[in-house]
Amino acid sequence: MKKLKIIFVLIFGIAALAGFNSCAPSGMIAEKGGAQLWGENCSRCHNPPSMDQYSAEQWTIITDHMRIRANITAAEMNKIKAFLQGQVAM
Amino acid sequence: MKRKVLFILLSIALSNSLVSAQGGGDPSKLFGNTKMMITGNAEASLVADTGYVNFTDVSFKPIFLWHLSDRLFIEAETEIASGGEGVELVLEYANMCYFINDFLTIHAGRFLPKFGAYRGRMGESFINKFAEDPVGFGDGGIGPMIESGIGLQGGAPLGNSKINYDFWVSNGPNLIDGTEDPENAGQFEYEAYADNNKNKAIGGRVGLLPFSNSSLEVGVSFENASKSGAAYSDLENTGVMMWAADLEYYKAISPIKSTVRLIGEYKSQKVDNAYYPVPDDTTFYTFDNNSSAAYGSVSIRPTASKNKLLRNFELCYRYSEFDRPKEAPWGGDKVLTQSAVALDYWLRWNCLVKLTWNKNSDSDNLYVAQFVYGF
Repeated sequence: MKKLKIIFVLIFGIAALAGFNSCAPSGMIAEKGGAQLWGENCSRCHNPPSMDQYSAEQWTIITDHMRIRANITAAEMNKIKAFLQGQVAM
Repeated sequence: MKRKVLFILLSIALSNSLVSAQGGGDPSKLFGNTKMMITGNAEASLVADTGYVNFTDVSFKPIFLWHLSDRLFIEAETEIASGGEGVELVLEYANMCYFINDFLTIHAGRFLPKFGAYRGRMGESFINKFAEDPVGFGDGGIGPMIESGIGLQGGAPLGNSKINYDFWVSNGPNLIDGTEDPENAGQFEYEAYADNNKNKAIGGRVGLLPFSNSSLEVGVSFENASKSGAAYSDLENTGVMMWAADLEYYKAISPIKSTVRLIGEYKSQKVDNAYYPVPDDTTFYTFDNNSSAAYGSVSIRPTASKNKLLRNFELCYRYSEFDRPKEAPWGGDKVLTQSAVALDYWLRWNCLVKLTWNKNSDSDNLYVAQFVYGF
């Protein structure tokens, strides 16, 4: 029973966190482009791959994978994906 | 087994040909509106100490990634490896994910729990600068690398900082009771495919990236199982609590035209007192089953050098130690220590050659050359 309580507290805690609208980036962070975020986030663990390593289709898949493996925020991942797919200028 | 491996290889070849065709054709004819690709890595090592020189286990680890929709995603990794008893085929993970919203993802299956940052992340062969694991972080070490269960994870901005989080419910570690494997009594099978009782483990990690450029991450993890022994056995109620703290930091330093990286982790495990059978006897014994392990590493790579050859080199040092239960059959009075130096050469962003020297407190010095190709 104690463990069930812990599970529920964790689940509702995370859900509350996810719905917490004040979890917002500062203006400085929000203005960052995909190229900068690509360099900063990939370098946390490994060398950043260049744009031509994968096709646009494949970048969609890779960025999903990295969102899981590295917990990169969705907003940053969308910018990184757009950059790697060549949708935005460097 | 040979048939299974052959089947897997043929499947990979077929899938890859389809994926290759996908790049040049209309994707809708191959996978509909879904997207699929295969990535992964292969590795091989040459190991030498005072007694032998050996081309050791070779492994090939394809990762299958399938984007089913903007919310549905599957990742799965298999490992085909040569071992002491021939070729082994292992399902590393098969993780089904649903992106609930920008901040939350639910996933289920066999997955890489983020207990600490080494296993499943910094220890991946194309990320790890060293050919060998730190002591206490590889096989026989502390904590799970793969688990079966369900979890919630995500990341969110906090002003100039970021936070990320993972929480999971899993089968948890299975206690080795010593009846069939007395040398490992009191250790755990962390990656068992099936649970040994009805109890479930709870684990989690919270990471904080305090700097706006994401260069520093600190994380705290835990996993608790109140029962880890086999159902209906005397050891069923043996609980285990693990926790870990990790740190990763990198910085490009202009005056030396290099990027410096610091990585470290500490983890600890406390197991309830339990009685294990004395081999070839009818009596039992017990011991304080507490252990801990830690490592710290520093690496430098001249990433801003104009010399292309030079900037592909990376020099690394790592110190690790593993404090085991003193009276356990697999323990000892002395803390295991290891100092490792590695000189790596990067052939590509995820392909490298590692030359590693390990000085171990309990065994011969080890020299390892490892080739890792990511694809």
